[in-house]
Amino acid sequence: MAQLETQPMAFRTVIKNDDAVWVPGTVLAGEPKFVASPVETITYQINPAAVWSDGVPISCADFQYTAAQEQSGPDIYDRTGYVDLDRVSCPTPKTVVVTYKKGKTFAGWQALFSSAVGILPSHLLKGKNRDTLLKDGYSWSGGPWFAKWNKGQNIVLTPNPKYWGPKPHLDKVVFQFETDTAAEFQAFRSGQVDAIYPQPQLDVVDAIKQGLPDAHTQYQSQTATVEALFFNNARFPFNSRPVRQAFSYAIDRNAIVNKLFGPLGVTQAANSLNPFVVKDYSDPNAWAGYRPDLAKVNSLMTGAGWKKGSDGIWAKHGQRAAFTIVSTAGDQRRELTEEVMQPELKAAGFDMSIKNTSADNLFGTVLPAGNYQLSLYAQSLTGITPGLCSTFCTENIPGPSNGNSGENWSWVSIPAADTQLRIVDTDLNQTTSEAAAAKADDILAANAVALPLDPLPDICIWNDKVVGPISDNPIEGMFWNIDQWGIKQ
Amino acid sequence: MLRYLARRMLGSIPVLLVASFITFWLIRRAIDPLAKYRHIRDAEAIMAQQRKALGLNHPVIVQWWSWLTHFVRGDWGTSARTSDAVSGMIQHALWPSVQLLFWATIASVLVALMLGTYSAVKQYSAGDYFFTGLSYLGIAMPDFFFALLAIGALVTWPAVHFHLNEPILYSIGLHTEGESGLSLDYFRHLALPVLTLTFGSVASWSRFHRSAMLDVLNADYVRTARAKGVPRRQVIMRHAFRNALIPFTTVTALDTAFLISGVIVTEKIFSISGMGQAFLTALGAGDAPFLLAWFVITSVAVIAMNLLTDVAYVALDPRIRLS
Repeated sequence: MAQLETQPMAFRTVIKNDDAVWVPGTVLAGEPKFVASPVETITYQINPAAVWSDGVPISCADFQYTAAQEQSGPDIYDRTGYVDLDRVSCPTPKTVVVTYKKGKTFAGWQALFSSAVGILPSHLLKGKNRDTLLKDGYSWSGGPWFAKWNKGQNIVLTPNPKYWGPKPHLDKVVFQFETDTAAEFQAFRSGQVDAIYPQPQLDVVDAIKQGLPDAHTQYQSQTATVEALFFNNARFPFNSRPVRQAFSYAIDRNAIVNKLFGPLGVTQAANSLNPFVVKDYSDPNAWAGYRPDLAKVNSLMTGAGWKKGSDGIWAKHGQRAAFTIVSTAGDQRRELTEEVMQPELKAAGFDMSIKNTSADNLFGTVLPAGNYQLSLYAQSLTGITPGLCSTFCTENIPGPSNGNSGENWSWVSIPAADTQLRIVDTDLNQTTSEAAAAKADDILAANAVALPLDPLPDICIWNDKVVGPISDNPIEGMFWNIDQWGIKQ
Repeated sequence: MLRYLARRMLGSIPVLLVASFITFWLIRRAIDPLAKYRHIRDAEAIMAQQRKALGLNHPVIVQWWSWLTHFVRGDWGTSARTSDAVSGMIQHALWPSVQLLFWATIASVLVALMLGTYSAVKQYSAGDYFFTGLSYLGIAMPDFFFALLAIGALVTWPAVHFHLNEPILYSIGLHTEGESGLSLDYFRHLALPVLTLTFGSVASWSRFHRSAMLDVLNADYVRTARAKGVPRRQVIMRHAFRNALIPFTTVTALDTAFLISGVIVTEKIFSISGMGQAFLTALGAGDAPFLLAWFVITSVAVIAMNLLTDVAYVALDPRIRLS
């Protein structure tokens, strides 16, 4: 949030005709010049008026510094798009030329100097410990606002007088931290806060269903997040494709989604692991065939040599089809999903136990170590850059070749899918890339490597006092254009 | 008195040492400080380096002693979550919690004493039954539930019902952004968290005080005083009330630990960035250095409260001599 408002972004995400699209940020003088061959090259012209809050012009040196940090600096967790850069050169202080290594390409080049990290001020950070200088917040800005972070309490935005673009309408915006959903809604109802952007949890859905007086509510399922059941494809019993497929036929996914988000009008399960915002890079019906069908469960399981025991649970070579699901403890939505699934699976001959853990343990230890059989969590995009290679390509299975930092936590290894997913990441022809993404979706679905569930909806709520072009942005969130908001006097 | 205090403080040191060792050992068992490095690039090399840096190659008792000697010198380590100095984090989180505990303890003691005395003096009256019922409710009701009910009834309902531009009481933080100090704004923020912490304590403490007061009121010396013609008010306040304060003081000191646990929930609901919130965050993130310091600080607080209680005994009962 604060980064978007203080760090200049080469590209921002906006919604046009219901589609998320990249548009050049105000730091650029216009659309960059993109050349695909002989080597991928992007030329940016920096807006001549663009300056940091201390008056120093935003220059090519800032792009060079940012690229160097992203490529090899410490504490950078996602170097996508930067690792294959050959150089960033500066023909003039306001011209930036980014060149990739020969034979290396990056289809999602708009994400460079955008998304999670924007452009950083080299004159303030170069030669110093960037992490130390930024971790407690910072007093500089290259955007419409200054952001002051009061740890544990709030973030306060105040206008940056040196910002060269349209000035914010508000004198101050306070982002209050409130982790308890019930208390968050009470704070909204009582007028202590004017807008909220809550997580799509069950009590939020209930509160909306009951009605919020004098409030405007917008929710939509066409977002950047998909919640799914992720199998460990390398561990019993999900190291068997027929078992994963049979499991997928045992669950009524639409019923789960309806139960969770029906009151918001979201009733259909997601049928792709690519979220809606990159729908052109998916087969939106890849998983549509997986509907509850006990006959198919039986034929798949018996075909694979399983037999039902006296307890009604499948067994093979003395091993029962018993497994444990792990998710984030205390998450009502996920806990309800597990509870709904449990009897359905039992009826289909699977014995599922639930053992949830803290989010830190799940994402920090359990999943990267592959120490699980089945997990339930969501994957989100931070930019409209498609591609599932980082989470499903063979080379990204955690191991020595990637220094154990690969993110293919499902241990999926399907050569045909690898080929298609690599095309999505690297082919600069959009049509080819879209076709490859759809093919990859189909291959992953046919192998039932995971099972998409909820297209997690975004929920925006604001009161009558707030005016302006308020709308959800699936990538940047509800407050993406807060500089255009106002308050009724 | 000073000699007694010095002796008690010295006597507290072994208690603290044992408590800190048990805490250290349990946290080492529960939280692996290397877990976050296990799945990063060059994990083995980094883990070996960290294992050496954190002294994890040594036995637990050696690790604990090393941590303790640093701790007493003011080096409380670095947070595994934020890489900040733990001492600074504790300092930042301590003040809001101290404020909450201070006001909650004062309010709880005063209200519990008033209600307990009233219920004892007016035993089996309608008022006694009413406060008895209310205290059962207070004992049974979890803090978080009471907090949410209180926000609904005292913040949201008046704001919605009377179409107020801003609520009479607030439910977020201890100050409005930009405000500070002991202002009206502060007390409007403070009221509900203090009420939440107070409700449960008042319920149990007032029951205890009622019972202690009844014991004293039925004692022979009180009957004698009344028979000698000492006015009833004087008997209650000078003889009964003062004597009943001694067991009450013991209970309040022992319950301090419960108040601290109440702070954890209260701070979460009311978005107050104190020790409670910091504890929850550290626990969720497996931040062992912060948790260790947190437990030691709370242990010190509980021991200090017990010491204060001993001093209070002398003030309440001249027969008690601290030696």
